[in-house]
Amino acid sequence: MSVKIDDDLWSAIGDPTRRRMLDLLLSDGTGTATSLSAQLPVTRQAVAKHLTVLDRVGLVKATSAGREKQFRVDKVQLARAIAQLANVGAAWDLRLQRIKRIAETIQRQTAPTGNGKKAKTK
Amino acid sequence: MEYGTIEREIYIDATPEVVFDVVSNPVHVRQWWPDEADFSLVPGEAGRIGFTQRDSSILWEQFTVVEAIANRRFSFRWTHPDGTSAAADNSYLVTIELKPEGDGTLLRLTERGFRERGWDTAKVASERASHLTGWDFFLPRLPPYAARIRAH
Repeated sequence: MSVKIDDDLWSAIGDPTRRRMLDLLLSDGTGTATSLSAQLPVTRQAVAKHLTVLDRVGLVKATSAGREKQFRVDKVQLARAIAQLANVGAAWDLRLQRIKRIAETIQRQTAPTGNGKKAKTK
Repeated sequence: MEYGTIEREIYIDATPEVVFDVVSNPVHVRQWWPDEADFSLVPGEAGRIGFTQRDSSILWEQFTVVEAIANRRFSFRWTHPDGTSAAADNSYLVTIELKPEGDGTLLRLTERGFRERGWDTAKVASERASHLTGWDFFLPRLPPYAARIRAH
């Protein structure tokens, strides 16, 4: 179940216009298709479509106060998306820790050569 | 929100010569990342790295060295589709730079590619990477490996 949701979540956040919309909603608190399109180089219609995509994956929540829907970011869902992205960095952290361990082990086992000024006698 | 680059820096208490060997020699690379590593240090030559799956099959990823300057820099592209040449729009570029610092080495790593490739591909690679490199899988392998080196 979660696989499909995550797929949609990723493609929702993968679009640069939608990421800019999320940025705007985060800094402004709330926004409408009209208010967002005023700050972006895309039409109100296009923004409305993007909002539908974001709404579908739960990244934004809509409230119908007034004549136009008000949107705000769902921070829990956004945090989830960011956590998935951070996994790429975490994977490299793990690999680098292994590289460090292996290299230092080899270094300790290697007899010091010419520049072994710090070599310890056993 | 910009996720195009991952940058990491780590100090290693070993000479650049040793670190370069660990990051670029397939024999060592197999110990810190994939289960199989089959590549040469000749820039542009097609190679591959393989990850053993739960059902014992091997998932291969394409791997091509971009630059190998002894003891200083090692960079490669990976995850481009089989049968294609590695390029900016179809693979991740990983660059590992080594600088002597004191008696050890400062290793600086960058991985680039998200924005150029699009999110769907990034997602797949991310899931794969995080799934395949968990501590539970790799930790048990480290002590035996250290022991093997010691035995030499």
